[in-house]
Parts: sequence; C-alpha cells; structure tokens
Amino acid sequence: MTVQREQLDADVLIVGAGPAGLACALHLANLIKKHNDSGGKPELSAESIYVLEKGREIGAHQLSGAIMNPRALAELVPDFEKNAPLDTPVTDDAALLFTKGSSFRFPITPPPFKNKGNYVISLNKIGKWLGGLVEAAGVNVFKEFGGAELIYERDGIGGVITEDKGLDKNGKPKANFTPGYELRAKVTVLAEGTRGSLTKKLVEKKKLDNINPQSYGIGIKELWDVQPGRIAPGYVAHTLGWPVSTDMYGGGWIYGLSNNRLSIGLVLALEYADPQFDPHAAFQRWKTHPFLKKILDGGKLVRYGAKSLPYGGWYSVPRTYVDGGLIIGDSGSFLDSQRLKGIHLAMKSGMLAAETIFDALKAGDSSAKTLSAFPKKVEQSYIKKELWQVRNFHQSFQHGMLAGFIHTAFQQVTGGRGLIDPMPAHAGYEAYKKINGRPAPERFKGDGKLTFDRLTDVYHSGTRHEEDQPCHLVVSDLNVCATKCVEEYGNPCQYFCPAAVYEMVKDPGGGVKLKISAANCVHCKTCDIADPYQIINWVVPEGGGGPNYEGM
Amino acid sequence: MKILVITEQRQGKWNNASFETLAAAQQIAKDTSSTVSALVIGKSIAAFADELAAKNVAEVLKVEHDLLEAYTADGYCAALKQMIESAKPDLVLFPHTYQVRDFAPKLAAMLGKGMIGDCIGYRNEGGKLVFVRQMFQGKTVADVVFVGTAPWFASFQSGAFRADLLAAHPSGKAPVSAVSVTLNTEQIRTKPLDLFKEAKSAVDLTQAPLIVAIGRGIKAPENIPQAEALAKALGGEIAASRPICDEGWLPMERQIGSSGQTVAPKLYLALGISGAIQHVVGMKGARTIVAINKDANAPIFEIADYGVVGDIFEIMPALTEALEKAKTS
Repeated sequence: MTVQREQLDADVLIVGAGPAGLACALHLANLIKKHNDSGGKPELSAESIYVLEKGREIGAHQLSGAIMNPRALAELVPDFEKNAPLDTPVTDDAALLFTKGSSFRFPITPPPFKNKGNYVISLNKIGKWLGGLVEAAGVNVFKEFGGAELIYERDGIGGVITEDKGLDKNGKPKANFTPGYELRAKVTVLAEGTRGSLTKKLVEKKKLDNINPQSYGIGIKELWDVQPGRIAPGYVAHTLGWPVSTDMYGGGWIYGLSNNRLSIGLVLALEYADPQFDPHAAFQRWKTHPFLKKILDGGKLVRYGAKSLPYGGWYSVPRTYVDGGLIIGDSGSFLDSQRLKGIHLAMKSGMLAAETIFDALKAGDSSAKTLSAFPKKVEQSYIKKELWQVRNFHQSFQHGMLAGFIHTAFQQVTGGRGLIDPMPAHAGYEAYKKINGRPAPERFKGDGKLTFDRLTDVYHSGTRHEEDQPCHLVVSDLNVCATKCVEEYGNPCQYFCPAAVYEMVKDPGGGVKLKISAANCVHCKTCDIADPYQIINWVVPEGGGGPNYEGM
Repeated sequence: MKILVITEQRQGKWNNASFETLAAAQQIAKDTSSTVSALVIGKSIAAFADELAAKNVAEVLKVEHDLLEAYTADGYCAALKQMIESAKPDLVLFPHTYQVRDFAPKLAAMLGKGMIGDCIGYRNEGGKLVFVRQMFQGKTVADVVFVGTAPWFASFQSGAFRADLLAAHPSGKAPVSAVSVTLNTEQIRTKPLDLFKEAKSAVDLTQAPLIVAIGRGIKAPENIPQAEALAKALGGEIAASRPICDEGWLPMERQIGSSGQTVAPKLYLALGISGAIQHVVGMKGARTIVAINKDANAPIFEIADYGVVGDIFEIMPALTEALEKAKTS
C-alpha cells in the first residue's frame, strides 16, 4: 500500500519520552531560552523540538526499580528537591544472601550496593513530572505516537515516520485510518530505551556495534501495598542467591516506599542455558522465601510490569552519532551494569546530547562530524568514569556467579581492568542448550494471594491495545516455531515472555502452531532479544497501546 | 472568486454536514467578496435543489442523471468533472463525509489539482486563503495553502462550522439551473447493490438474562453448535472468553471480559472457562455462576456458586436433552 504522508519539519525530533529523551528536551529548551534571551543569533525555538511517546501519556511505559542517583537531575533541575516526586531517601541498604528457607545479611554492604544519598522513586511519577516541565518549556510532546520507520538521509537519518493508525488485523485501512506522519528534523535523537526498534535498525544498517554485542537482562516487578509496619520507607535490600542458581546471573530487590508501599522485583541476565527457564516463575518463587513472605503476608498486589535492560556496558556502547542522528539513554547502553543504575546516566547522556545539538543548530550543521562531539562529551563526563570502572563486570558473569566474583575481585583492585581487558561477551541467546527430547516443564500457577500466574500479573499491568490491528510481533518464519524450535529448544518464547503473549497450540491441520496474543504485550522487548533464532521482530503497535505503569 | 459547494444527499436524505460547508462557503464569500453556488447531484433531486435555493447563494446547480441514482465514485467524478470544466469555479468545497473521502480526491486528481481534506477552518491572509487542519489527533494544527492554479478543492470537518448560522436568501429564492452531463454505463466500473447497514451487534449481551459462555475447553469450532443448542434450550445467549473470539470462532461482540463486554445476567453458565482475571472482571456481577470445567483447580470455581468438575462434552448434550424434555412434559 502506498500512502501519501503529511510532512512536518522540526529542528529536533526525540523518539521516546523517558528520562533520556525528556532530559535532552528540557536541557535543550533551557539552552535555547538563555540563548534567545541574551540576543543570540540565529534565534532558535523550543517549539521546534518534538518528542514522540508511544504510551498513552508521559510515563505510561516507564518502569524501573527504582533507586535514583540524583546527580544528573540536580544539574538539570537545580531545585528538584522542592518539587520532584522523589518519594523517599534511602535510609538502609542491605545486601542479603538467600538460601532456600533462610537469609543472611552481609555484615558490610559491598560498595556496589551502597545507596546513601540516593532516592527510592517511581520512575513513572518522575517521568510525568519531568514531562510537565518539558511541555511548559514549549516543547511539543506527541503522546500516543510511536516511531515506526527511520528516514535515511545522507549517511544517517533525517527523521522518522510515525506508525499508521487505523489498520485492521490484515493491514487493511479501517474507517479511521490515518497514515503515519513523516517527521523530518535536523537532528533525530533515538531515546527509545532498551532494544529500541528504530535503534536496532540503525545499528544494523550502519554497523554501529561496538566490540561486544549488547547483553541484556529482564526485570520483573510488582508493586504491593503491605500491612503497616512491615517495611520502613527508604529501606533498600538487594538479594543474591535462591532461587537464582549459581550458573545464572541475577538477583532481587526490595525497596520500601512511603505509605506502606513496596517495590519488589527480580532481574535476570537473558543468557541462561535452559531454554525452558521461566523468569516470571522464578520471580514468583522468590516471593515465597520466608523473608519476603513475612513482609508481603496480608498485603495486596497493586501493579505489575516487566522490561529489559542493557547490561553490556562500555564495550557495548554503539557508535552514538550518524549524520543527523544521535543515540542516547538505554538505547545507547548508558547503564551501569554493576549497580544496575541507568536513570542518572540516561539523563546525563540526554543533556550532553542537548549541548551537542545546541551547537549544531547554531552552526547550522548537523553532520556526523559535528555530532561526533557527543561521544567526546560522554568521554569527559562521569558517564565514562562510571562505566569504565565496570567495563568488564557483566561479561565476567557470563560463565556463572563463581567465575564472576573472582574476576570482579581483580577488577576491584585494578580500576576495572581485571584479568582480561576488554573481556569479550557473546549474545545471550547463544547460551541456550538444546532440550534433547526433555518434556515441557509444568507451568507455574500461583496461589492468587502471594504468587500469581502470568495472566493475572498482566492484568495488573493495565495493558491495553486496540484489538483490531496488525500483530506488532512480527515472526519472519512461523514454520521454524512449529518444527525446528519445538525440537531444538521447546519454544522458549512461551517461557521467557513475562506477559503470556506466546503460546504453542494444537494446529487443526496436525502438529502445533504459534499463537501470539499481542494485546498482552508489555513492550519489554524480551522476545526480540531472547529468541534463539532471532526471528521475532518487535515493531511499534498503534500509539497509545501498551501498559499503564501508574506509580511504577 | 467563484465558490462551489458540492452538497451530499443519499436516498432522499441530506447529509447535514452539507449545510455546515455551505455556511463555511458563505463566510468565505463574505470575507473575500466571492459568490457561492450550491450543487446537488443525483436523480430526482428537485426538492433538494429548492431547499438549497432558499439559502443565500447566487445559484443552485442541479446535476441529474439516471446513472447518478446510486452513488458511485466513477459516476460522480465523471459528472462533476464535466460540470467543473464548464462552470470554472475557483474553489470547490465539500463536507468531509465518508462518501467525499471516497470520490473527491479522485476528482481532484482527474483535474490535476490538489485537495486539502478535513479542514477545521480558514483564514484570509491578504487575499490568500489559508486552510487549517489538525495533525497528531488535534495536538497541533497546520496551515495549508494552495499552490498552482484554480480550481482548488477542500473539505471541511463535520462540526467545524455551524449550520444554524446559514443565511437565508435575501429575496426568497436563488435561481436553480439544471446542468446536463453525458454519462454512459461503460464509464461506471462499480455496480452498486442495495445499501445495507452492518448489523450492529445483533445481540446485546448486557441485556441477556441467561448467558452460556464457552472457553478454551470447547476445543474446536465444530463443537460450538453443542453449546449453542444448550443456550437455545435455556433460552439464553451464547458468549465466549477471549481465545474463542481471538480465533474467530465467535464474533468479537460475544466476548466477555476486560477487552469485551461486561455482563451481569441472572445465570452465567461457564463451560470450559478457566477463569482468568481478564474474563472474570467481565462477568463476576452475574447473580448465579455455574461453572463446568475438567480442572478442579481452575480459578473459575473460586467465584462459581455451583461447580461441576467434569467433561463439558458429556454434560452439554445431557443438559440440553434434559431441558428439552422438561419443556415438553
């Protein structure tokens, strides 16, 4: 189908209203205001900054633990402590080792788990608040619009085409059909979060990968209202051990928010060997540990969500600039893989991008050469400093926890260099071992009070999509699912998806076939990452669809 | 400037957006010292033409032809093209209706002209007309101007102008002239059949006192008639959980749950439904819930008033038979 698209020109187009995209927009708007107020030429306009957000509202797709290091926010909004919804400062940070049935607190909390001066926050609330500042500064935020295609121009990008709205299941226009807009910009900033669907295309097409492929983890979270007195606001604990086996990399978090609200979750590296391992079930089992059971007993599940995160670190940061384009935040791998903290680095990367763009706009030159100032700014900032110290950290754990701790010890005393530098990494999905006829494991059911099945959890994510639209999980060869994957890996999509999207069902014509319940999708991108054959492509659904991470 | 408004009637009824567009044309005419002609197209449209003549317009044009009785894009385009080529208007305005969306872009393209669709307003900037249309679902608006020579085509969104501000003709009646057009059947490639309305959900489940709902346990579409027979014997409606409608085994309007209907019947008979929360939120208000499921641990039993752990394929026919028997005795 060829459609005529409406065109719109902007100076700057930012894809994604997360911490990186919003910080970029706000910082740039502030720079422009200062420039114009002092009579700077050429005059620039914050109204010519566009931000696309696929969620129903700003923050709707924001999910994190979250503990925030306020460093970047303090630079962006110096009086943030007065107005930002920070919830509560960290008051206690414990590192716990879980064994089945008991727990042990490390007498000294290891440095990576220390969180003094940080805040326990809801990233959804911070996003909403920051979004308000961005809009008040005159920036145009287009909610319910996703970036569907890149417009390639020069040796880079010249803008984005938003998703077509009003297509039916078969891709035919419905009565409300509106073709996507062609948004052209001098600089397009990809701030899509982990495994951005446009970033993925750009990195592939322009071969922007660094020496290591990106590694990923999945984080699964529940928000609970617990009985009064069970948890102090600001209480922070990280757990290692049970039920995460030693050949896997991961751990849990327990964060006390105000008003008896609790954030709990489990993060796991998406590079485990058993293709039928179920991260959601592991998270549910983790909640049955006596330590957690005691806290949660009598409480109520409020909300659920899941997302993936980039673990690769410094050696996985792609080339972040092309003609007319920049990559920031999680899309650019700016996440500390040891502390699993990325909010402040995402914001800082957005601010450095804003400074680069500001210079480019003034000079009237958005070529790769001008935009290459961005990675240089990153090099000179604390982003590099933080990521450099842990540059080999995550890779050390690709062969299990024990090897990881040994490597980490050496890295601690050598400023991150360790025994091998750079330590190579492999793509996580390559770790799967074939099932060799092993029968499918029984699915986790949940008791409906402390533990839940996936459908019940998905219900609590508030996820909704227009039902009659093309499937946004594009499997390039369904035959592989029905034959080769059944045999070799037992269809891991059924297990790794935390939203019960994928299911193998009986094919009336014999055998099995893949059924995709795309409307359940919480936009975590795990399938795109963890599919052993790399044949699942996550593309943006109709804008406004997806989870509603209120308070997450 | 000559402004021509193409109005829309169908099967003896006005599309009322026509009058909004006529009001828009009157305003533009006032702003730009232009004249307005109103056009009505179809067959047996004298009464429509007279009604238009009572409005403040310079003239009413009546385009009548046997082949224009039923709407076809080909017929409308061929007739209006001839008409526009002879009358030479500068600005052609339409109400932005479904029908207009179908033929107006074709008409403009046939004449090699541009069209600005779905406008919500206009401005007169020193004699140049600027049309305003929404973008990004109304988040922002765009100013659009025509380039090139007249005629220019534009359509106005329904509700953008007020039909009640339409001015009546100052001296009673504008002249009505019939415009003859040549059309032949070969020009019209579509063969219109009788008009029909898409059946609005034939059933309103929210009003049904008895509902027989099926879930995955029904296994195959071939088994659905068994459940339908039971629903009929009970005098109830058939409904389903999401997977059944997802597969297209029953229409979407029969889906109960968070992405379907919410119901509160007197009796809800759940057959082979596990009771995922997404389904339960749509039916937990039922006065009496009876669940039949093979899996004794299915969550549906937690909210059921009566539960049977068993095979629906044994129970459905037996229950149907018993009900039929009870009715006849």
